[in-house]
Amino acid sequence: MRSLKGHGRVLVAGVAAALLSFASWPLTAQVDPLPPEKAFRFSARLVDAGTVEARFVIADGYYLYRDRIHFAIEPAAAGLSVPPLPEGTIKQDQFFGPVETYRGDVVVRLALKNPKPGEMIVIAAESQGCADIGLCYPPTVQHVALALPEAGKGPAAPNAAPSRAWFN
Amino acid sequence: MHRVRLLIMLTAGLLALALGIGVAVWYRSAPDATALLALSLPDTHGVEQPLAQWRGKVLVVNYWATWCGPCREEMPEFVRAQRDLGPQGVQFVGIAVDKPEPVAQFSKELELNYPALIGGNDAVELTRPLGNHLAALPFTVILDREGHIVYAQMGPFKSEQLRSIIGKII
Repeated sequence: MRSLKGHGRVLVAGVAAALLSFASWPLTAQVDPLPPEKAFRFSARLVDAGTVEARFVIADGYYLYRDRIHFAIEPAAAGLSVPPLPEGTIKQDQFFGPVETYRGDVVVRLALKNPKPGEMIVIAAESQGCADIGLCYPPTVQHVALALPEAGKGPAAPNAAPSRAWFN
Repeated sequence: MHRVRLLIMLTAGLLALALGIGVAVWYRSAPDATALLALSLPDTHGVEQPLAQWRGKVLVVNYWATWCGPCREEMPEFVRAQRDLGPQGVQFVGIAVDKPEPVAQFSKELELNYPALIGGNDAVELTRPLGNHLAALPFTVILDREGHIVYAQMGPFKSEQLRSIIGKII
């Protein structure tokens, strides 16, 4: 009985393997890149009641284009002042000429023009980048929601809620 | 002895079942070109170009953009392949996820000898079930003369890889 059970396990594993191999489409050559929100991980935190520190952590082997990073805020009435982004590495592009790219971390301090104590704000960060393996991602938007501190209190913990969307 | 025979029969039965289910799963998951061939997109002059007009040819549909360096790098080979294999019934079609102006400019610079159509989000979304789960670029689909998808690839082709695939169905 024990040997039958052993065989049974092998059989089940064999059937599972057969099903799995059939289920995957054999005609597609796949590479295994990260999804954009993991390749270009966006986060934001409140430094004080009127300042948000926005950060992209770029995975090894991936890069972002400097001039394709844009920030927006909701509600729009909160107002966002975006300083010039840090300098990137200049890369000569045959078509566009010199382009600046980022690798590693990119940190930007965004100023809120009209922050209301206790209000929820959402920072939307649009970015576009590529992988060294020879892939580019469409522009991706990630969001982080933050609760502005009540009057007289420190900043609340950030509530990260990244999501993706297309820009065109 | 009985136990061994039972085991053999059970194995054969289960393998047959697995094969049956496997074929059914494969059949259902094999990508279908219907939606792709039903596409009609404007070229850089704004003229609608239905993909169905190239039915009966070996069709190489390449999703690209001017903002995608790896896409641009592999396109000179597509131009050469179109020139060499076009007379044998091979048709390249580029779908640019881009604005018409930079596409027209780049097409001119490259002396693109195949159509450059302008596609939006919907056109790229069509490629997800074909294996482009990240909607990344470049993405290339190769269809045989009957309109069946024979190959799809996310990322650029290695040298000679493309011609070798086309060579088998030309």
